[in-house]
Amino acid sequence: MLSLKHISKWITLGGKPNFLLKDVNLTINQGEFVSIMGPSGSGKSTLLHIIGMLDDFNEGEYLFMDQPVHTLKEKQRSALYKQHIGFVFQAYHLIDELTVYENIETPLIYQNVKSSERKAIVADMLDRFQIVGKKDLFPTQLSGGQQQLVGIARALIAKPQLLLADEPTGNLNSKQGEEIMDLFKQLNNEGVTIIQVTHSEKNAGYGSRIIHLLDGRIEQEQQP
Amino acid sequence: MIKNYFLVAIRNLKRNKVFSAINIVGLALGLTCSLLIMLWVLDERSTDQFHEKKDRLYSVYERQFTDGKTQGGHYTPGLLAQELKKQFPEVEMSTGMAWDDYFTFQVGDKILKQDGNFADSNFFEMFSFPIIEGSAKNALSSPNSLAISRKMAVAFFGSPQAAFGKTIRVENRRDFQVTAVYEDMPHNSTLKWDYVLNWHYMQEIREWIREWDNNGPSTMLLLRSDADAQKFEAKIKNFMDKYLEGNAGWKIELYLQKFSDRYLYSNFKEGYISGGRIEYVRLFSIVAIFILLIACINFMNLTTARSIKRSREIGVRKVVGAIRPALIRQFIGEAIIVAGLAMIVALALLFLFLPMFNTLTQKQIEFPVQHWTFWASIIGLIFVTGLLSGSYPALFLSSFRPIVVLKGVMKVSSSANWFRKGLVVFQFALSSLLIIGTIVVSQQVQYIQNKNLGFNRENIIRVTLQGELNQKSQLFRRQIADIPGVTAVTRSEADPMRMGNSTIGVDWDGKVPNTKPLFMQTGIGYDFIKTMQMKLVAGREFGRDYGTDTSGYILNEAAIKKIGYADPIGRSFTLWGRKGTIIGVVQNFHYTSMHNPIEPLIFRLADSSSYGYAFVRAEAAKTKSVIASIEKIAKEMNPQFVFTYDFADDEFKRLYENETMIHRLSNCFAALAIVISCLGLLGLAMFAAEQRVREIGIRKVLGANLQSLFLILSKEFLMLVFVAFLIACPLAWWAMNNWLHDFEYRVTMTVWPFALAGLAALAIALFTISFQTVKAALANPIKSLRSE
Repeated sequence: MLSLKHISKWITLGGKPNFLLKDVNLTINQGEFVSIMGPSGSGKSTLLHIIGMLDDFNEGEYLFMDQPVHTLKEKQRSALYKQHIGFVFQAYHLIDELTVYENIETPLIYQNVKSSERKAIVADMLDRFQIVGKKDLFPTQLSGGQQQLVGIARALIAKPQLLLADEPTGNLNSKQGEEIMDLFKQLNNEGVTIIQVTHSEKNAGYGSRIIHLLDGRIEQEQQP
Repeated sequence: MIKNYFLVAIRNLKRNKVFSAINIVGLALGLTCSLLIMLWVLDERSTDQFHEKKDRLYSVYERQFTDGKTQGGHYTPGLLAQELKKQFPEVEMSTGMAWDDYFTFQVGDKILKQDGNFADSNFFEMFSFPIIEGSAKNALSSPNSLAISRKMAVAFFGSPQAAFGKTIRVENRRDFQVTAVYEDMPHNSTLKWDYVLNWHYMQEIREWIREWDNNGPSTMLLLRSDADAQKFEAKIKNFMDKYLEGNAGWKIELYLQKFSDRYLYSNFKEGYISGGRIEYVRLFSIVAIFILLIACINFMNLTTARSIKRSREIGVRKVVGAIRPALIRQFIGEAIIVAGLAMIVALALLFLFLPMFNTLTQKQIEFPVQHWTFWASIIGLIFVTGLLSGSYPALFLSSFRPIVVLKGVMKVSSSANWFRKGLVVFQFALSSLLIIGTIVVSQQVQYIQNKNLGFNRENIIRVTLQGELNQKSQLFRRQIADIPGVTAVTRSEADPMRMGNSTIGVDWDGKVPNTKPLFMQTGIGYDFIKTMQMKLVAGREFGRDYGTDTSGYILNEAAIKKIGYADPIGRSFTLWGRKGTIIGVVQNFHYTSMHNPIEPLIFRLADSSSYGYAFVRAEAAKTKSVIASIEKIAKEMNPQFVFTYDFADDEFKRLYENETMIHRLSNCFAALAIVISCLGLLGLAMFAAEQRVREIGIRKVLGANLQSLFLILSKEFLMLVFVAFLIACPLAWWAMNNWLHDFEYRVTMTVWPFALAGLAALAIALFTISFQTVKAALANPIKSLRSE
């Protein structure tokens, strides 16, 4: 599905390059469930953001579904990204001014889906996540677990093939966390490729492959 | 998608009530102000524009060269209109036009005074005043024809139909037949006459207009549609030469001005047209734009300032697939929604304030509900304002990089901060400029009010001498003098504040031959100087005991200076060929507005002149009873006329109508600009306090006290206001110097208006932000630090 070749990213501090990622090579296939682990500052989030095309890199090549991302223009990259990638955040990042329903609907609006279709798709999704009763509430009226559920629903609404999750359970208690991970497992079984960043060994265990980062390099790969 | 934007916009407005209120009220005030000025400007610009033939209607003006001076004016010989028509095929029609006269009209027992003028038989064919009864062609064709307005027809006869063909007596002298009734002249016409008398009659009662070397009436021409105005103007430039032969040292050139331009371009410089009301129209247009700009800047400023709060939303939207154009659309859309809400408030305010504005500007502007152009421009204004105020936030907010925002380490870049500071500086610079301008204008107005005119203008009653009052003016004055409370009474051909008749017919010993200096002259009665409480520098005023006074002259100091007599009393002086002696010298006084210098002036004795006013000085406490007594005497002596009087003070007010209006308007605008700027500053202070909550918390934990926190929070804003003030100073100095130079007599610019404006700006700014800063400084640090 995607492959990173010799990816490096650095920021210059006091005239010296400070590497966030150094010569990262990684290939991920359709249907995989990959967990990225590593201590704070090891470059996990940066790597995830680069994969998600939210951040750029200084060196190397990135092929996403056979398209060279590093040569694409902003507009094409955005189109590619909109179509294939969904994002889940640790802090949920729902829009406070929009209701649950409207939050989930937003990606469809940006993909110019017709209003009647949008209604049907969002209704299905609300059904599937069993949050129909909460559709008119605002995010601040929900618990953390429920907010993350909405966040995932929003990430999935446009039927992406790749789901990127940045510590999706970081702000949740263990029971809520477990529920979210079970959901991920189930999605993966349905064919969605998932890449998650996590601190927790237990959560990493849900995946099919674990990548350990240290100081911007891939230290080791393991199968759980 | 639009619905989604709309929802977010409305929810955002609701969530931040104070911010929203500041935003909407500020913008609404700016819009109201701009709309008011826009209506005023449109009204000014529409004046005299309704004449169908306005593109071919011209007014002739003169450049007069005499005694090394050049003067311009619309005063022309009374014969010019007909002569130009006779000699030039380019002229299709022409008419002379006198000055507005208040004549007394009588039908049976009904006696009314009306405002009107004289014109030639072509008048109604040249100008578009619709005729209700009669025809434009025959309205003024015979020596006893008279055209009257609908209003006057209704007043005398009940209806225009009833008036047609009827007879009206004018000034108790002659009967005229109503040959036409015209629709009342509209309020945006400079000609507002209730009657138009024919030109024959003008020539009959004012013989002097039949001579070429007397100026007075205006000359209006309608050029043929195939005529080239510029070529024609060149042709008539030296037309007057042959009529002025024998008047060596005096030259007159003729020029054309579009009649429709006369209202806005009425000032002369070096004898050429140079500005006029148009300067105020331009000035206020600029002020309107500035005020709207200030309001828009507020909006921009508050929106960008608040952007931190919304940056997360933008990040999220980008992550879920929004591209930049979509976000730009969203924010501009929001701005347009706010502008729309502000416009609704503004329209309500406009409706409320329009009557007040009309009194202020002495206009009759109506709320133009029926005009689709008005609504079109309202909608246009909403979009322009929305775009103007929304574009910066839109471009700025949409440029955020999503991961940066979402990580929460978002710091506004210093360039954005600079921009915001720049906006505050711009705003306060404009406000300071307006404050300084207002102070200087009011100083000048005060100066005019309090300046010694050279005579005492208070408690003088002015009675127009008409009919019997004029014939028997000596008896009339004797009877007035007996009224208790009257301290002096006199007569004069002209009002002491509007003496405008000039002549070159003067001579004296030692005058350089062939120079034609211009002297003002007017005929006065006995006791004029005493009644006006003018001051004699030398000699005496005209007295009944001196038989020789008909050949005596009183000159003002400026005239003596011009003549150069060291000891003028008893020396010879000649006016219009009548050689006499100088019997008195009067101290210079302001016989016209302070825009003009005091020129040489001659008083001649005219105690039994055929026209003019009686002036009565009354004791302050008794003016009312004195007026009642005068009215009684006038009614008895002169039952054929309506008794009219006013105060010399009223004339003074009329002289400075423009300045008074400017004074009032600039007060309002300055106040508004300050209010709007303060709203902006308030919003920004709220924002700054919010943004620095963490810093304040840490400082408090480390032991900072209230004063030091207050200082830290206020310092930056006060610096900005101070910088703005420094920028405003030279601009204000330049602008106000220019304005003052239009006055021959003016205040000198001092530092006081500047110091006052600076202090005011700082004080207002400090007051505005203090609530916020104190609130922020008093907040509990535990709370603010925990929220991190």
